[in-house]
Amino acid sequence: MNYSVSHTTKYSYSEAVPVCHNLVHLAPRALPNQVCEEFRLLIHPEPFAVTYAKDYFGNDVSFFAISQTHLGLTVTANSRVAGAPMPEVVPSSTVPWEQMAGQLRTARAPDVLDAYQYVFDSTSVKRFAALQDYVKPSFPDRRPILEGVIDLTARIHSDFKYDPRATTVHTPIEEVFEQRHGVCQDFAHLQIGCLRSIGLAARYVSGYLRTEPPPGKPRLVGSDASHAWLAVYCGPAGWIGVDPTNNVLASTDHITVGWGRDYNDVCPIQGVIIGGGEHRMTVEVDVAPPETPPEPVPTVN
Amino acid sequence: MSTSPLSVHGLIQSYTPPDGVYDEFITGTGIPRPHTQSFLDAINGIGRDEFARRWLQAQRTVQANDFAFGGYATPDDKLRPWELDPIPLMISAAEWESVSAALKQRAKLLNLVLQDLYGEQTLVTQGLLPAELLYAHPGFLRPYHGLRYPNQCLLNFYAADLARSPNGEWWILADRTESPSGLGYALENRIVVSRMLPDVFHSCQVERLAPYFIAAQATLRGLAPEHPENPRVVLLSEGPKSLNYFEDSYLARYLEYTLVEGGDLAVRNNQVMLKTLGGLLPVDVILRRQNSKECDPLELGSTAGLGVAGLRQAARTGTVGIANALGSGLVESVAFMAFMPRLCQLLLGEELLIPGVASWWCGQPAGLAHVLKNLENLIVQPAFRNRGKDGPTREKLATMKPDELAATIKANPLQFAAQEKVKRSTVPIWSRNLQPAYLALRGYLVTDGNEYTVMQGALARTSSALDPLELSVRKGEGSKDVWILSDGPVEMVTLLEEPGRPIKLRRSGAELPSRTADNFFWLGRQMERAEASARLLRSAASRLSGETRSTSDLEVPVLLRCLADQGQIEPGYAINKMRGQLPAIEHDLPMSVFDPSQPACLRSILDEVYRLGSIVRDRISLDTWRIIHGIDEDFRPAPHRTMTLSDLLSMTDGLITSFAAFAGVIVESMVRTQAFHFLELGRRIERSLQIISLVKNCFIPMPEFPGPVLGTVLEVADSLMTYRSRYLANRQLAAVLDLVLTDETNPRALAFQYVQLVRHVEKLPRDRSSPDYAPEQRLAMTLLHSVRLMDIQSVAETHGLGDYTALERLTTEWESQLPKLAEAISHRYLVHAAPSHQLADLSPQ
Repeated sequence: MNYSVSHTTKYSYSEAVPVCHNLVHLAPRALPNQVCEEFRLLIHPEPFAVTYAKDYFGNDVSFFAISQTHLGLTVTANSRVAGAPMPEVVPSSTVPWEQMAGQLRTARAPDVLDAYQYVFDSTSVKRFAALQDYVKPSFPDRRPILEGVIDLTARIHSDFKYDPRATTVHTPIEEVFEQRHGVCQDFAHLQIGCLRSIGLAARYVSGYLRTEPPPGKPRLVGSDASHAWLAVYCGPAGWIGVDPTNNVLASTDHITVGWGRDYNDVCPIQGVIIGGGEHRMTVEVDVAPPETPPEPVPTVN
Repeated sequence: MSTSPLSVHGLIQSYTPPDGVYDEFITGTGIPRPHTQSFLDAINGIGRDEFARRWLQAQRTVQANDFAFGGYATPDDKLRPWELDPIPLMISAAEWESVSAALKQRAKLLNLVLQDLYGEQTLVTQGLLPAELLYAHPGFLRPYHGLRYPNQCLLNFYAADLARSPNGEWWILADRTESPSGLGYALENRIVVSRMLPDVFHSCQVERLAPYFIAAQATLRGLAPEHPENPRVVLLSEGPKSLNYFEDSYLARYLEYTLVEGGDLAVRNNQVMLKTLGGLLPVDVILRRQNSKECDPLELGSTAGLGVAGLRQAARTGTVGIANALGSGLVESVAFMAFMPRLCQLLLGEELLIPGVASWWCGQPAGLAHVLKNLENLIVQPAFRNRGKDGPTREKLATMKPDELAATIKANPLQFAAQEKVKRSTVPIWSRNLQPAYLALRGYLVTDGNEYTVMQGALARTSSALDPLELSVRKGEGSKDVWILSDGPVEMVTLLEEPGRPIKLRRSGAELPSRTADNFFWLGRQMERAEASARLLRSAASRLSGETRSTSDLEVPVLLRCLADQGQIEPGYAINKMRGQLPAIEHDLPMSVFDPSQPACLRSILDEVYRLGSIVRDRISLDTWRIIHGIDEDFRPAPHRTMTLSDLLSMTDGLITSFAAFAGVIVESMVRTQAFHFLELGRRIERSLQIISLVKNCFIPMPEFPGPVLGTVLEVADSLMTYRSRYLANRQLAAVLDLVLTDETNPRALAFQYVQLVRHVEKLPRDRSSPDYAPEQRLAMTLLHSVRLMDIQSVAETHGLGDYTALERLTTEWESQLPKLAEAISHRYLVHAAPSHQLADLSPQ
């Protein structure tokens, strides 16, 4: 499946800003089943230079600074992405969850070690005792890990109410857990915390959903902004993405920008400004199949 | 007389250390240790009384220094974390040599560990260090990973805490790798004690501290990327609210580096710049005193308001040297101490020369089991140090009951570690009799990347209770100078002056950081605002209090109007009709001056004066600071007593005298740098506004019986005597207006302020080749011209006839032009001084 993604973020300030520095995670990441064929960053006012680099987690980041006085900033990221379905994993065929947790603790193969760093607390995902009690019913003894994850995803989807006004980017998961509402980021953080509290590796994925659903399919929640879900390390089956906001496994309709331990590692736009007084921000995202004929789809073995 | 060998040493005659510990001065049988002999002999020669007298004198020096540098986080905060003790700790050269070897080994090892963890991470991939130790460590800051070239030194500065156990062996208590504190105190202790005992210091052949600081300067110079001859090195402090500010400013002065905060720096095109009045100047090297986590708000989202956005990128591109490297605090945690013996074997193929005190990390099953079994004998601590911020957690852990402690650890074992208690050695503390106290030592190392240099001295800290020693440098009760006794004559090295070398003469230029200039500007304004308030209050208090004057009824309303205009009192008091509904002003005025809820009240203004004064303290003279400090101390309401008008009268009297002292010391002692011009600009702009407000409130509308009010204006404007000498008792509007508005010879007149404004604006740094006048120059000249062109006689004449338009027009114009002038100056010179903050973000949905 091919998509063209357009993500525009606009800031406006009540007072002039002489300098701003930005760090953005907006370029879709190259994956075995995802190719970013084109990525363009349009910034207004124009920065002196844009630096492209990789962060610690291997995500693409861009840095830029604007040092002329401005009253607003517009960042538009346009990309063309080709995605292929991941090979299907049969949930009942995955390893028992205890075995996965044990392997993470002891095995030192590079993949497992890399996954192990996603087992621990991070800035926005601090575990607490009640989480473990909540997660337990989904993970009875010896249950295959993906079965448990799918069950947990469904429970979070039904137990928590989607409410864009209820939380901010800084709402702790403990509060989300008590209030039982939030947005995709909160649900992703919450489920990551659940999985980590039984020793599993879960990472936060930042990306997009296609805006208009294919004919006959319902429109997914979170499709007109940047979206977030999570991926769980399932040993031989690799990382499997789950989207608790929509109660689905991540599919070709989920376009991955990058991942990290939580939101803070892959926040789409980070910025530090001098002055500026009050500021306002708006975001527009559009993800659609391109009008031009699609490129050949890469195959995944 | 006793025949005890101690009797010849009057000082330590009655000194008895507790049983079962090692004493640094005397042996178990009460005989002085050989290396302390020459010191005790020398002290004996001085005699107890003389020693006491010298100590008293030395303490005054310490207090004077406190005065200049003390931290001021909160008014209750103690200026000094510990008391300095006059008796130095002595360590023989041979012993320090072996301690030094061990410290060098440890520094080398920690640097290797840092290089690996912020690079290849083979220690983790090969299973030599538990992966949890890195992954669960909040101090492992991923943005700083891979910043440096392989083999680049990450640990230029290192310090270790040491203690000696009863068998005389040394132990390492803790490592300090982020930005070791306490150097400034070690230096200050040395300066105070060596000045107190110059003769003893000389005869004992004490090794100097200066070679260490010279090595530190060379190290920092060497970090400059382009190796310029004279690199710009800045000391990046957390600022005046930080507990380390004392030594930050002390060290910056001693090492001759510019003391900066995050707000003074900016990154442009990946180059770190110092924001000065003259523009942005490139910074070559940063001596980092802020935590790594707060150094780049762009990368780590810190909202602490510290740091410099883009610093990591600058470090990555190699345009700036930073010591210690960003992220170096990773290994200063207790959790790492448990692995040091093994790491030493693995990386250096050696045993640790001095072992660390036994430590267990609860993140491993064996460690956890041991800690839970031995809770009573261990000190439980956070596994990962959060520099300067985990004091409360430590205290909480120290007061927990064993079962509560066990439950806390079990809930999150990764986050806890425990250490054995060390029965530390004792040293004598000077008081009426010598008292024993327990010792901990902090040794300092520096490297340019090749060999570590150990400071020939240390910071000794003492406490009367044995456990648990809080290892933060600020805690503890006492401190000592540490003398490393050389076997031969000591070479004279000092940083304080370099004899023989010709010095390049300099004048201060435009390199004043913009933020500092801004602070001086506001210090000037607030000082002047406070003075204007004090003068009005004094005049009001004297007219309201007992000895009623026949004209008080006429004068009080205009004074109240002026005070209300300033926000000193409720506006209702300025309206005759409303005054009846408010509490009697006689009662209310003295208290409202101290009302902390009123941001415009005199006490609030003085709070602001004190705050600004503290921030620029390292740039003003000791006497200037003393005046500011004195004002702050004196102008406070008497506790548990209602303030009366006569209290207010005498306090404002005192205050006005202090302001005069401040103004005097500025004129007489302050070098005519940009700081001076900004302070003066602030003062002159504020005084202009105050004069205008006075004239407006007193003469528009013109009072029915102007005589007394004319007198009030002259009194408030401190021009009464001049008027009398010119016109005797003949009070007329024209003459009064001339004296307070147009007389350029009267320092209290508006015209005088404008002349000064033009002068100071002229002195600000700018491109002199441009033929145009800058906006701020034009504005200042416009003001001066308008007051010079004013026909005071005719203005006064029409004004007296009830036509106020001329005076109204002028005052309104001045009142709108002065803020424009302030804004123009700020726009041109101070705009970059504004604080930075994070852009908010919306949640993904």
